[in-house]
Amino acid sequence: MSSFDFLLQGLAAAAQPMLLLYAFIGVLLGTMVGVLPGIGPALTVALLLPVTYGLDPAGSLIMFAGIYYGGMYGGSTTSILLNTPGESASIITALEGNRMARNGRGGPALATAAIGSFIAGLIATLLLAFLAPYIVRMALVFGPREYFALMVLAFVTVSSAFGDSTLRGLTSLFLGLALGCIGIDQLTGQARLSFGFPDLLDGVDVTTLAVGMFAVGEALFVAGQHALDRDQVLPVKGSIWMSRRDWARSWKPWLRGTAIGFPIGAMPAGGAEIGTFLSYSAEKRLTKHPEEFGNGAIEGVAGPEAANNASAAGTLVPLLTLGLPTTATAAIMLAGFQQFGLQPGPLLFATNPTLVWSLIASLLIANLMLVVLNLPLIGLWVKLLTIPKPWLYAGILMFATLGTIGTNPSSFELGMLMGFGLIGYLMRMFHYPVAPIVVGLILGPMAEQQLRRALSISQGDWSVLVQSPVAAVLLTLAALGLIVPLVLRAMGKGQVLQAVAADED
Amino acid sequence: MRHFTLGALFAAVLAVPAMAADYTIIAPANPGGGWDQTARTMQDVLQKEGISKSVQVQNVPGAGGTIGLAQFAEQHKGDPNALIIGGYVMVGAVLTNNSPVSLADVTPIARLTGEYEAIVVPAASPHQTMADLIAALKADPGAVSWAGGSAGGTDHIAVGLIAQAAGVDPTKINYIAYSGGGEALAAILGNQVTAGVSSLGEFQSQIEAGTMRLLAVSAPERIEGVDAPTLKEAGLDVDLQNWRMVAAAPGITDEQKAAITADIEKMAKSAGWQEQLASKGWSDTWLAGADFDAQLAEDTAATEQVLKSIGLVK
Amino acid sequence: MTDRPPPHTDPAPDPAERPPEPHVVHPSLFAVAAGLAVIGAVMLWDAGRLSGAAGYSNVGPAMFPRIIGGVLIGLAVWTAISTLRRDFPDPHPSAHGPILWVLAGLTAQLLLLKVAGFSIATGLLFALTARGFGKRNLAVTIPLGIAMAFVIWAVFSQVLMLNLPAGPLERLFFGAAP
Repeated sequence: MSSFDFLLQGLAAAAQPMLLLYAFIGVLLGTMVGVLPGIGPALTVALLLPVTYGLDPAGSLIMFAGIYYGGMYGGSTTSILLNTPGESASIITALEGNRMARNGRGGPALATAAIGSFIAGLIATLLLAFLAPYIVRMALVFGPREYFALMVLAFVTVSSAFGDSTLRGLTSLFLGLALGCIGIDQLTGQARLSFGFPDLLDGVDVTTLAVGMFAVGEALFVAGQHALDRDQVLPVKGSIWMSRRDWARSWKPWLRGTAIGFPIGAMPAGGAEIGTFLSYSAEKRLTKHPEEFGNGAIEGVAGPEAANNASAAGTLVPLLTLGLPTTATAAIMLAGFQQFGLQPGPLLFATNPTLVWSLIASLLIANLMLVVLNLPLIGLWVKLLTIPKPWLYAGILMFATLGTIGTNPSSFELGMLMGFGLIGYLMRMFHYPVAPIVVGLILGPMAEQQLRRALSISQGDWSVLVQSPVAAVLLTLAALGLIVPLVLRAMGKGQVLQAVAADED
Repeated sequence: MRHFTLGALFAAVLAVPAMAADYTIIAPANPGGGWDQTARTMQDVLQKEGISKSVQVQNVPGAGGTIGLAQFAEQHKGDPNALIIGGYVMVGAVLTNNSPVSLADVTPIARLTGEYEAIVVPAASPHQTMADLIAALKADPGAVSWAGGSAGGTDHIAVGLIAQAAGVDPTKINYIAYSGGGEALAAILGNQVTAGVSSLGEFQSQIEAGTMRLLAVSAPERIEGVDAPTLKEAGLDVDLQNWRMVAAAPGITDEQKAAITADIEKMAKSAGWQEQLASKGWSDTWLAGADFDAQLAEDTAATEQVLKSIGLVK
Repeated sequence: MTDRPPPHTDPAPDPAERPPEPHVVHPSLFAVAAGLAVIGAVMLWDAGRLSGAAGYSNVGPAMFPRIIGGVLIGLAVWTAISTLRRDFPDPHPSAHGPILWVLAGLTAQLLLLKVAGFSIATGLLFALTARGFGKRNLAVTIPLGIAMAFVIWAVFSQVLMLNLPAGPLERLFFGAAP
């Protein structure tokens, strides 16, 4: 039987009304919990996984897929509407998405995110289904030096999230890099910048930083502005649906985001965030409306959201073919798969085709269910913005702290959340962009470890970094990314770029 | 059947059960890891076998389990309803992190499961046997890169022990630490490193698929169904098990300790537990009482010695 | 990091040099620069105490903190210069009272969480945050917050089995949960 037959069989089996109902419940529960600010997809899946335990394997698998997609999508909803991403992969979505929401275009932003997620999820799941064994072979070409080169490229692209000032962007990035040094050095086991606190030995949790910087920092900042009556958000202006122009501007970013996100998600040490950074930067370079970037450009939502979802499907490639969970969500999913008797590994597609294909069919159906459920709900989500500020922000802080207390019930972690909130507030006060600090915390440790691993394997020979063709190409791209804007600026276009780059806050 | 399950689901969502938890199990790691899975499996079996009415799992992640251990020893002193999961990694982490609280500050109950370390090379590697690898190591220790989990963890200790047994200076090993066995696996498959060391289970499916070659295992005797010599057969006097244990709070009475041990033993001997072990590929290495205490003391002393010789503990 | 800016961290620039520009130099910006320099210095100091165990890579654990610390000090100097040259935009005006209310709410939650349980601690956070946003009637908002937090506690800890600290209120309704 060919792969295609397996897939059709899986889809036919999953299309029973009862199973569709389970998919619907899964998506609904996943969206409801995922939409709470500060509660990201990993926690959502972990919390809701037991709900699937009581069902028969087919029902439980499909409900699980629904929870997964619902949790992923719920996270971007709060990111767009309230500027409070629950995890690092939706930070970039908040950059443009929240601007759109503030301008009264929350509806189109949510719609492009939902449809983009659907399209990316659809394409990426199909790629996963038919190409997983080949893709993983390509991903394994990536060793420490190739990852280091990829990180360098990602660092260059971060500058597109800097806003209007290189000084403030770099400062924010380096503060993130400094935070990344905290904790036990993975390669030598020595504690750095921990000052004797055992709680710091594992380093700064990206989720705590992201929720602190965005949810808490935003609440503090809005509180200060609210009292001065300087803060205006339009709930809805114009249609909550995407216009013909929105569609025209979204479809290419969806496809590009998928093309960027999927392979990076499939790399064992890639990570979903990096795809979103690269996609945002690509959209910013390619757009015909550069003046809108920083003020709510729809491409800046469509691309990264598609990349985020495509890389989520991409993480299933190493998970299914190597048994290798590369994100927190994937680690919890692995535990979920085991309860269905699915043992991921290189022989999985050969030894257990029925289960794999029903999983893939479930993912496709849950993905469809998500868009069916959530497009009509957009009108409701946008109403979140009409909740009076005191109740809205009091609620945001409740859930933001709930997420932290639930994952790590320590006073130290809550204290860090509050400290990061205060820093996020001060950074907004002084016009510093807040995304680069989170990006620095994610990229810094990865770049450092991969570089030191590469050099350790080569016994200190730096030339290996450029000896692999893949690494050389990535480093060349990074160098071009640095040099081309400088050349453009020197040629006088710089003023235009400067003038159109918007104020971060 | 489906109607029943759906009904049960709604009932579970609507009805808020008002039950006291009999046990709280602290998993000193993030959700998804080995300790967390052990805790959740215990939760499941204890409840299903009717040993305990209600069991809660609490994750206290951080620093190789030492944060959870310290918090447990302090907050649950004398509490007969609190349990913590631990393991061999914790023994090393206590030493490398200079943790003020060690396994001596809690009440170890029993060793539950364990996994042996596997030494593998990529399928394309020129090294066919452990002897080939050791010959390369002796010729130039820096040229043999070993991928494994975090610095000072079980995998690192295994490499240190192997070097020591082969008469190579353990400080000279070129150990490449990854955040876990999984990430190391990708490096081995990608031919980035000379050899890999991790729990056998991490590599099993790759070995079966022929993408990796298993050179040796760290078990005292050959493992049934695994076609590889032990390190001892390869002439290296190394025997290492990455075990997981359960401990109770400090300051409990002997009767309380006996009651907990009885509950845990009942769980470990139950059909449900054995089924779970089989499905997860964990081996049953049950050991309790004075035997376990003696084994623990022995492991701690040996670990301290090897960590000193690698240069991770001063 | 930088706390509320102390008024005189750096000497004010010579008034004679001040070009005729609409805005004055904000002393708080020097505090930002000083804060960055302090973080940079701490990183350099901490890197100094690490052993140089570089192994085979020749790049030890101290190298990255050294580079980052050095760059942060450089950025501090740049910030100071940019402030003197009036290149740095003025900070957003912001009311301090509301910020303090919200921070008080977070602190109250942090301190009371283990003692009073999730509902009471988080209820206070809710009420004090709402106070920061202008809802002054604590007699209404505190009970409202506690009631909401209690519902959240019940759903998350009893239905979804998330481990949330219980206090007297939770124990009153659900028995002696841990």
